[in-house]
Amino acid sequence: MGTLILRRLLAIVPVMLLVSFAVFMLVALIPGDAATTLAGGANATEERIAEIREEYGFNEPIPVQYWEWLRGALVLDFGNSLIDGRPVMESIGSRFPVTMTIACVALGLGVVVGSAAGIVSGMRPGSLSDGLAILGASLGMAVPGFWLAMVLIALFSIELGWFPPGGFTPLTEDPVEWLRSLVLPSVSLGALAAATQARQLRASLIDVMNSAYVRTAWGKGGTPVRVVGKHALKNAAMPAVTILGLQLGSLIGGAVIIEQIFSVPGLGTYLLDAVLALDLPVIQGIVVFFALIQVILMLLLDISYGLLNPKVRAS
Amino acid sequence: MNGARAASGAEGGKPKPGSGRSANPFLRALRRFVRHKAAMIGFAWIVVIMVVGIFAPLIATHDPAAQLAEPFEGPSTAHFLGTDDLGRDVFSRLVYASQVALRASFQIVGMALVVSLVLGLVSGYAGKSVDYVTMRVVDGMSSFPPLVFAIAIAAVLGPGLGNAMLAISVIFIPGLTRLIRGQTLAVKEETFIEASRAIGTKAATILWRRVLPNLASPLIVQVSVLLGAALLAEASLSFIGLGVQPPDASWGQMLRRSYDFIFNHPWHMLAPGIAIVLAVLAWNLVGDGLRDSMGHRSVRAPRKVRKGARLGVTSVRRDEPAAGAPNPAALLSVRDLRISFATESGPVTVVDGVSFDVAPGEVVGLVGESGSGKSMTSLGIMRLIPTPPGWISGGSVTFMGKDLLSLSAAELRRVRGKDLSMIYQDPMSSLNPAFTIGNQLVETLTLHTDLRGKHAWNRAAELLDMVGIADPRVRLKQYPHELSGGMRQRVVIAQALACQPKLLIADEPTTALDVTIQAEILDLLRSLRRDLDMSMIFVTHDLGVVADICDRVIVLYAGQIVEQAPVDELFRSPRHPYSKALLKAMPQVAGAGERLFAIPGVVPLPAEFPSGCRFGPRCAERLPECGDQPIHLGGIPLLNEVRCLRAEQLKEAQLG
Repeated sequence: MGTLILRRLLAIVPVMLLVSFAVFMLVALIPGDAATTLAGGANATEERIAEIREEYGFNEPIPVQYWEWLRGALVLDFGNSLIDGRPVMESIGSRFPVTMTIACVALGLGVVVGSAAGIVSGMRPGSLSDGLAILGASLGMAVPGFWLAMVLIALFSIELGWFPPGGFTPLTEDPVEWLRSLVLPSVSLGALAAATQARQLRASLIDVMNSAYVRTAWGKGGTPVRVVGKHALKNAAMPAVTILGLQLGSLIGGAVIIEQIFSVPGLGTYLLDAVLALDLPVIQGIVVFFALIQVILMLLLDISYGLLNPKVRAS
Repeated sequence: MNGARAASGAEGGKPKPGSGRSANPFLRALRRFVRHKAAMIGFAWIVVIMVVGIFAPLIATHDPAAQLAEPFEGPSTAHFLGTDDLGRDVFSRLVYASQVALRASFQIVGMALVVSLVLGLVSGYAGKSVDYVTMRVVDGMSSFPPLVFAIAIAAVLGPGLGNAMLAISVIFIPGLTRLIRGQTLAVKEETFIEASRAIGTKAATILWRRVLPNLASPLIVQVSVLLGAALLAEASLSFIGLGVQPPDASWGQMLRRSYDFIFNHPWHMLAPGIAIVLAVLAWNLVGDGLRDSMGHRSVRAPRKVRKGARLGVTSVRRDEPAAGAPNPAALLSVRDLRISFATESGPVTVVDGVSFDVAPGEVVGLVGESGSGKSMTSLGIMRLIPTPPGWISGGSVTFMGKDLLSLSAAELRRVRGKDLSMIYQDPMSSLNPAFTIGNQLVETLTLHTDLRGKHAWNRAAELLDMVGIADPRVRLKQYPHELSGGMRQRVVIAQALACQPKLLIADEPTTALDVTIQAEILDLLRSLRRDLDMSMIFVTHDLGVVADICDRVIVLYAGQIVEQAPVDELFRSPRHPYSKALLKAMPQVAGAGERLFAIPGVVPLPAEFPSGCRFGPRCAERLPECGDQPIHLGGIPLLNEVRCLRAEQLKEAQLG
């Protein structure tokens, strides 16, 4: 198990190097002269363009530019925002907890609701409850999170007034308001996670329920709770756990737009503001940061997968 | 022989629907797809969107860009869906936007597909360092949350539909490349490729002829799902202002406008949102339908069977009341057992009227080839066939005076694993890989005895010791994968014996094991039977094993008993041609250097059982009248019986 973790940790290094290079090269995708575009396009002053060119080292050869950028990125220094001039990492640090809270609550909702639906339908494929769960999951996969967010706002904020239509109250300020401000964003974001989880768990549960060892468990006189809850679920959970990492990745991606809809001061709003103003350091910083988070999550999930599966644990 | 089968089919009168299976897997998949209701609804909706998109100028009632009315008018006959913030006709904008939706998804997936095909095929076929580098790049690309990556690329490229499509197609490449590479690798490993490379076929030819057809079905499924995802991603990027730019309309961009006015006109976002949901849903339905039609689709059982089905218990839906009284002296008395299955061509009966007794202490062998119904019979007695697709459609199974087929699930649980237990065919898969041996053994004890905690673990260790496993305490803490096949089968036996059953059903307990282990396990079962004084049903296709261990033999063919006799008698003078053929096919019978006898043909599928003698088409002693009508068992019922028109005749011939 220890060597497994170590091996996985080492595997992160080349991946993150690749990621950082890809992100650095984003600048090469900017059409026309990058310095001019970054300085604000046609109405940029010559001084500003020269300043940007100097700051980014556009006069240097690409490898030197990359090395300079990577040296900063290694210590999480992505430079300063072109808009507000603040260090990118500082803003990321202050906004990340908000995004993480919403993503985690959404994932929690998704796992609980999705698992329940997946178990109910996977136990009895072809039944009425299975049909309803499949229908719900298919809708959950097809509904864009940002539209669901708008529907929820229209219904629960504007028509009914139960939840605030936007904004984010920190937990330290007012726990009740904090919870209320979390509900709609998390639900809009969690619907897709729930649908994915339900489909995944249903598929693996159907497989497992047809396995020989589940038959053995019935044959020894096991009750449905014991056979499904113990013998089937522990095995069916493995593939479901492996996709949790991808799930959280897509949740963070989805959070970008959801946050903007609810005007939540998280990483998503930060990214979208930067995107429209082409604030390159912010874009680069957030993308690398997101990739880092996802890679770490995958590592954690690999480890938990090992804990679930004795075969992996042994090797 | 084919002629005989065709003739018997013709005599049967009604040809079974769907029994003429198409040889072409593609056509079969297509037929299943067309029958898949949900998929066809999805497909129809996509066709609708296409038609609407193509004929947008004819269908739209207004110019989508013209500001014709007051902003935010409600639905009216002039404007079906009202007007937007600039007084433009919402319906017409939706109609025109469907062009964007479809074109964007096709282009996005098309671009991703071309790049991934090149990357995946080259990487999978070339292998080595090319593969290594490609896959690391793919790994790196999939470390980004997909939508964020697309947003970043679209942002630096600049707003616009073309750039947005490019950015989205990039995020589809890793997944597609992995899929294509995986399939290429799999095909490459196969020997026929090795062979064709050896005779000098060009690499490109191999890829074209072999890999692409194998790749087709997973790829088609994946593509249809990605088409939906592409549509969703395009809507997202247009929503945040990176995709379609005003005044052009796209569903995502229309939503954006509605969002800006949500406080005054909250429900204005309904129409474009529903358009997106339905389109994505349609693609996903098509994808699911394709997956179902290409893989093994589960078949729906008849409603009366599905209704009230319980997990882990075979349902009993007797077509007619159970006939034949059980033998009160027997431990197990099976009468007229019928087991049916739902198949694509309707219900079939795989076990058809099987009756036999097992006396206390007796060992009865159930023999026959694969497909003869021997495993189904034993699983049916345990009621371990899942419903759906299988169910017990007739008969009775009386065990220790109780009809197992009338017991409730809770009553059945008290019998299973205690007085009636089973050893399963495959020791590799009948133990749960996620729990230790000890956990699984102790579980059986906890379910049926008062032993708990340390006492249960001690008993589990005794059981392992009894089946000849050294170091039982160590083994108890191990997982199934840490044990050899022979050892696992011993664990399965220990588990079956844990509560000292009165009847043990052993379903091919030695088939999956190598010969020396087989002999050990048989010795073990023989001595256990002596020591524990239990009855056994021994299911096997190996007559050598039967001679070794059984008192009485039941020969099954195509779901029916064809002969039942004491073991010596069956071996000395088999009466059914099938029994004779089985005996003749025993490896022990053939002399050194002789060619091993094999029965020509295979057991027919249940849907294709002949209406006359079921063995007829393969029988060497067949007469024309054998195919006329079902043959009945003759002789002394339950003791010495045979299902053959010529039994007496052949017996005389043998004696004379």
